[in-house]
Amino acid sequence: MKKNMKPSFTWRTITESRLFFPLLALSLILLFDFIFIPGFFTIENRDGNLHGSLIDIFRNGSTVMLLAIGMTLVIATGGVDLSVGAVMAIAASVAGILMNPSALKNEVFFVTDPTYTFQPLWVVIISALLIAILCGLWNGFLVAYMRIQPMVATLILMISGRGIAQLITNGLRVQITYRPYSFIGQGWIILPFSLYIVAIVLAITWFMTRKTAIGMFIESVGTNFRSSFFSGIDEKKIKLLVYTFCGFCAGIAGLVASSNIKTSDANNIGLTTELDAILAVVIGGTSMAGGRFSLVASMVGALVMQAITQSMYAIGVPAFALQAIKAVVVILVIILFSEQVRGFIRGISTSKKGVKS
Amino acid sequence: MKRVGEFFAKNRHFIPLMSTALLALTAYGIGAYLFVGMRNPQVFFNLFRNTSWLLISGIGMTLVILTGGIDLSVSGVVALTTVSSAVLLRDGMNPWLVIALMLLMGMSLGAIMGGFIIKLKVQPFIATLAGMWFARGMCFFISDDAVQIDNYIFHILGKTKILIPGLMELSLSQGKSAPYITIPVVVAFLLLLVMIYVTQYTSFGRTVYAIGGNEGRNEQSARLMGLPVDRTKFLVYTFNGFCSALAGLSFCLFVESGHGLYAPGFELDVIASVVMGGTMLTGGSGYVFGTFFGVLVLAVTQALIQFIGSLSSWWTKIVIGALTLIFIGVQTVLANRKSGRQNAEATVGAVAKRRTQLRLALGAGVLLVVVVAGVSISRSGSVASVDTSASAPCVVEFRKADADNLIQGGAVMAYQRVAGPQCVDELYAIYPDGRITGTDGVNTVEKQVSPDEIEEMLVAISVEHAWFTNEIYDTYLTPCRQCFAHYILISYNGQEKGATGTDGTTAMPPGYAFALAEIRPLLPEITSAP
Repeated sequence: MKKNMKPSFTWRTITESRLFFPLLALSLILLFDFIFIPGFFTIENRDGNLHGSLIDIFRNGSTVMLLAIGMTLVIATGGVDLSVGAVMAIAASVAGILMNPSALKNEVFFVTDPTYTFQPLWVVIISALLIAILCGLWNGFLVAYMRIQPMVATLILMISGRGIAQLITNGLRVQITYRPYSFIGQGWIILPFSLYIVAIVLAITWFMTRKTAIGMFIESVGTNFRSSFFSGIDEKKIKLLVYTFCGFCAGIAGLVASSNIKTSDANNIGLTTELDAILAVVIGGTSMAGGRFSLVASMVGALVMQAITQSMYAIGVPAFALQAIKAVVVILVIILFSEQVRGFIRGISTSKKGVKS
Repeated sequence: MKRVGEFFAKNRHFIPLMSTALLALTAYGIGAYLFVGMRNPQVFFNLFRNTSWLLISGIGMTLVILTGGIDLSVSGVVALTTVSSAVLLRDGMNPWLVIALMLLMGMSLGAIMGGFIIKLKVQPFIATLAGMWFARGMCFFISDDAVQIDNYIFHILGKTKILIPGLMELSLSQGKSAPYITIPVVVAFLLLLVMIYVTQYTSFGRTVYAIGGNEGRNEQSARLMGLPVDRTKFLVYTFNGFCSALAGLSFCLFVESGHGLYAPGFELDVIASVVMGGTMLTGGSGYVFGTFFGVLVLAVTQALIQFIGSLSSWWTKIVIGALTLIFIGVQTVLANRKSGRQNAEATVGAVAKRRTQLRLALGAGVLLVVVVAGVSISRSGSVASVDTSASAPCVVEFRKADADNLIQGGAVMAYQRVAGPQCVDELYAIYPDGRITGTDGVNTVEKQVSPDEIEEMLVAISVEHAWFTNEIYDTYLTPCRQCFAHYILISYNGQEKGATGTDGTTAMPPGYAFALAEIRPLLPEITSAP
């Protein structure tokens, strides 16, 4: 990609942009798909709704994208939230049990009626999100007010969260047959409905962080929380806010994931997605040490992760073996972002200006 | 009173460690008081037998955490070790060579991750995460299914009983079988002793302590002091890779099979037990010996939950999470105190603030314990009122002799189903002429199906699901509350083979589950008379 480089001002601004590396990675993967997987880019029109591998990347990536929005803000304050996967499971369990409480009676009867629900949909969604927000508040409290390292504080909920989720569902998989609920993850209005959810959350977050001072506060806390404290920013409240928001995002992601598989599976919903979300943010170029962040770059990072998954499935790599390939990609990204390689690229572009390199 | 205060002030470093040890012993004491079964010395030694891999891995993890890093790859390396050793043994490689290769593989994986962390300045969290995914993914490139280990030397290593000298006579005189431990336990303890020596009495150990702590600033000072920081970190990660592989081997000796899904979430257990052992997650403070007690707390918790019986297995996770929280709370308070002491101008306000923090930490801890205890009591109460028989753990006993008698009596298949929510114990016999009988000890039922159906089922099980091959083997774990344990004995075409299995686990071979699905529809239902 460096070969066609012309020593121009515009090229420089492009490479310096935070979106450059994630977009480059995404386009490389899509190029790979274009060459090796026939029909990857075909988009069908079924009853006015668009279907196809490209759409699937967006649809299946929506949970990771939702998580990445919250995670970007948390990482920007210099923390990390490991519990998002467990919070997803908790939110899904609450939603499942409110719609189909049969599991609580230690008996499993299969509700097949698609109009049956124990509680109305708005109660289900609001209570699941409230529980998720509560989980986020708990993390934020531990990090901001108890001064526990973020990784450790959220590790606690990561360990016990799945236990709590199983406690809620009595250790059973709760079948969800209520049709309006399954619209969250499986509905289509020209594009998948979950994409609209992502777009709305992203738009609200973008507006809050870029059009108000909150975004600047978050970056300032991440860069140096002590000096931001002295300049009058209540860093504790900011931390509490971002962890709570991350819990909220995880709650939405849990609802989307459970409605996608029509089951509330406390054991498997959101398993290892916290890692996907963190990697999406890291690929997006937000430093794990905190500081400047870019929501859009994180979204592209999430799409990179999902595009890899999708294209590996299309080639026919088994689901479990996929992890090894993800690991290789992560290692490549790490090397790409390392000081040595950055210095190397910088060295090329400065010393060999004008020379075809 | 003053003396006690002085004692605590002098040994403040040991407080977390001592409280963990105290907790483990108290929990065991309460368990022994409540449950007669827990007084059996074998139950105590089983705590070590069931956690030897946790202890081995915890020792390596303690060193990594002392340097201020973390290693998430352990569970992946454990799974990879089980799978690759199982496959290599199946292909007939020398078992000693396999063990050496596995240890080498673990060390090289650790070394590569260490290299990434040191040379490329990657966060340990990310580098080892990639390591875990890589190892887990590789498992499924090697083998999709669980592979059974059927090797003489592995059998000797895993199943040799080492009797405890003093206790043997005692328990024999009480009419119990002599308590024993296994070779992996001995290996774990040897490793523990060696590492206690290395961390406390060698320059390598002192360097490990010097690197960790104070958010990376201590690493800077260690470097300025001329300590070999990079080399030590590299060695620590390599050693942890070695420990992971050793833990994997120990796990593999215990379950005698290998699969890529083994040990899910193992790294969390390891980290939790290191933290409960009093090691600071920021590094620089803690003891390898503490990890031993951390592991013990985890083992006792698991044993207690098993003995209580009415609590499901996920309570282990919640209790471990709560305990981790409490220990981290204590650590944070201690750390705040220490840094407060260094601040000469600690004002009254700061002291009051610290007090509030302390109270908050204690309050949160107490609240959590109360909530957990309250919920558990209310739950065990409600379970007891719904179904009294389930609150007592089922005794699973496979009646293999009875099954043999049935086969002698002309049956082609004997099938026993034990445990489950109602704690049943049913024995079915299937005869070639289509007659099926079943009994649960009290009631007897009989059912007639066509001989063709029986023949069809037998063919399906023995040919399609490969009953008479090595694919089907004995697995047994204590079943969960909803789960059944099964024993199937088949005599077909002059061959006879029986195998046990428990559902709800990944250890059961897939063919076994298919065979159960074939048998299930034919069986008559035993309805207990009111």
